[in-house]
Amino acid sequence: MIKINSITKSFKEKKVLENLSLEVKNGEIISLLGPNGCGKTTLLNILSGLTRQDEGNIYIDDVLVSGKAGTKKVYLKPSERKVGYVFQTVSLFPHIRVKDNVAYGLKTMHLHRKEVKKRANTLLEFVGLSEYANFYPSQLSGGQKQRIALARSLATEPQVLLLDEPVSAVDPQLRESFRLELKSYLQKLKITVVYVTHNLSEAFIMSDRIAVMGNGRIEQVGCGSEIFYKPSSSYVAKFLGVNAFKGKAIKIHAGELLEIDANGVLLLAPSAPNLVGKNIIATIKPEDITLSKSADPVSNGTTINSVEGTITEMIQMRSTAQITVDTGFLLKARLPLSIVKNLGLTIGDKIHVNFFTDSINVFTDDNNENRRDN
Amino acid sequence: MKNRLTNSISDKIIIIIIGLIVLTYFLFITLPILSVFLKIEPSQVSAQIRNSGIIEAIKLSLFTSAIATVIAFVLAVPSAYFMVTRNFPGKTIIDTLMDLPIVLPPAVAGVALLYTFAPKGLLGPIFNRLGYIIPGSMIAVIIAETFVASPFLFRSAKVGFENMDKDIVNSAKMLSGSRLRVFFTVTFPLSIRAIISGTMMTWARAMGEFGATLMFAGNIAGITETMPLAIYNFLYYDPLAGVTLSIILIIISFSILILVKLLEQKRFGAKK
Repeated sequence: MIKINSITKSFKEKKVLENLSLEVKNGEIISLLGPNGCGKTTLLNILSGLTRQDEGNIYIDDVLVSGKAGTKKVYLKPSERKVGYVFQTVSLFPHIRVKDNVAYGLKTMHLHRKEVKKRANTLLEFVGLSEYANFYPSQLSGGQKQRIALARSLATEPQVLLLDEPVSAVDPQLRESFRLELKSYLQKLKITVVYVTHNLSEAFIMSDRIAVMGNGRIEQVGCGSEIFYKPSSSYVAKFLGVNAFKGKAIKIHAGELLEIDANGVLLLAPSAPNLVGKNIIATIKPEDITLSKSADPVSNGTTINSVEGTITEMIQMRSTAQITVDTGFLLKARLPLSIVKNLGLTIGDKIHVNFFTDSINVFTDDNNENRRDN
Repeated sequence: MKNRLTNSISDKIIIIIIGLIVLTYFLFITLPILSVFLKIEPSQVSAQIRNSGIIEAIKLSLFTSAIATVIAFVLAVPSAYFMVTRNFPGKTIIDTLMDLPIVLPPAVAGVALLYTFAPKGLLGPIFNRLGYIIPGSMIAVIIAETFVASPFLFRSAKVGFENMDKDIVNSAKMLSGSRLRVFFTVTFPLSIRAIISGTMMTWARAMGEFGATLMFAGNIAGITETMPLAIYNFLYYDPLAGVTLSIILIIISFSILILVKLLEQKRFGAKK
């Protein structure tokens, strides 16, 4: 278990982490997801002890590894924390063989030579690279190198494993399969894992929970579908590629739906009486939007919103297209190419945008104004 | 059409001009070196090598430069590591001062060493009390060589430590609590090429040291007369001996440069 308590860290005036707190459960795989430069790696370095925080405490398995106990400063060296670390770049020792790389940590444990050899072999078997024991790192592929790096970091039997974009060292066409391999290793290990990535789908594949990072803090923590359906800030929504727009909650409509005014367009959202009268931000996933030439026939004004707008942008991808519609505010829809073709859409077309009332997620805008939209 | 023609003519002219510049420069550097070899027959060289004055100078140069290189290694490598891994106020100034002997005129180095180690210099009284007079001794030769040549190793080792992949060192730190172990099993082996090439450059510079040695240690046969000083002395009364020594120094310098180049090309793990 990891407990991060109000961590602050600056590098030469520049605040990188600001009052950041996070708890990771025992045996949980959590992803730190965020854009480059948001402080993900700094947080890993602080967890590992390679970097020291300015303020705040860090506990691993209820042991204070870094911070202040009363007035006494506590700092455990990286090697004393029972933490393994796999770095973003291939960081194998290039001058020694694969088996010696794996055994590097074992040699600090005062084990018998036979025991060192045995454990190194077990680790090599675990990552399926026993036959490469006598190779030098430069003779391995990117994926193999990262598997050896994983084996090496596990040698000291860490309780926490830190992984910093481990996939980025692998050739692009092999990343998909490497991810799945890595995931199966992590599941077998049953240890606490903090997995840093800037890749959305990777975070979904690899982890039990996702912590979205931005501006030096954790913006939202939750399982994948949670943060996707209910992003708690426009920052998170934007990072996930979810539509986010400002509006005002007007009243409770028909006793069970919230009526909101988004730049003059009236929409219905799931009931939330406490929001009435407040400035709000509404989010909706592009996948939850459909388009039709005329107002949605099923729309009866209670379960489906149907808004007219003009297509301003179309981006074609492999199997889908992203279509931006100006309805008074911009909404992005993602549709299969076949549907786009059937509808015969082009830029400038008038079109109806349809989405279920319960696919809208609404939250107050009050404290977000200043910080988020930079 | 006409335009294209003039273009291709001006292209050719530029190529010819550049060719001439390159040729001039190559000859400017290689001809003087070649001229030394043309001055003497191989048989004369082997005869000269038996000349006792020459042998004495060679012995002295090898001995003093070897000692200077060892001292430079012991002092400069740990200092370079310290310089790269630590931050402290005034670091840039101190770093620049430490590199200064590389560009300092050797005569200035000689004067500076005199004012430090001469009996009335800054540290001279201390050595006086211990019964040593540094200037004019073999120790002075070694001091002059170390002073002028060690910054080459210092610089090169710094580059080696700086270019280390931080993640590799951090990986070692994650696994081993002992700084010494991390240094000797990872940091040092991975910077070894830079350190060796720096060591060889330092040795070559020490072998060639002239100005500072002349000013500080003097020109005493058998005690402070190193190969470069001997060349200077021989030039007036025994030119062939001077030429022989020059040839030896050219061969040593050339070999060192070739070795440094080979080291820079070598990569880890190329062997199966």
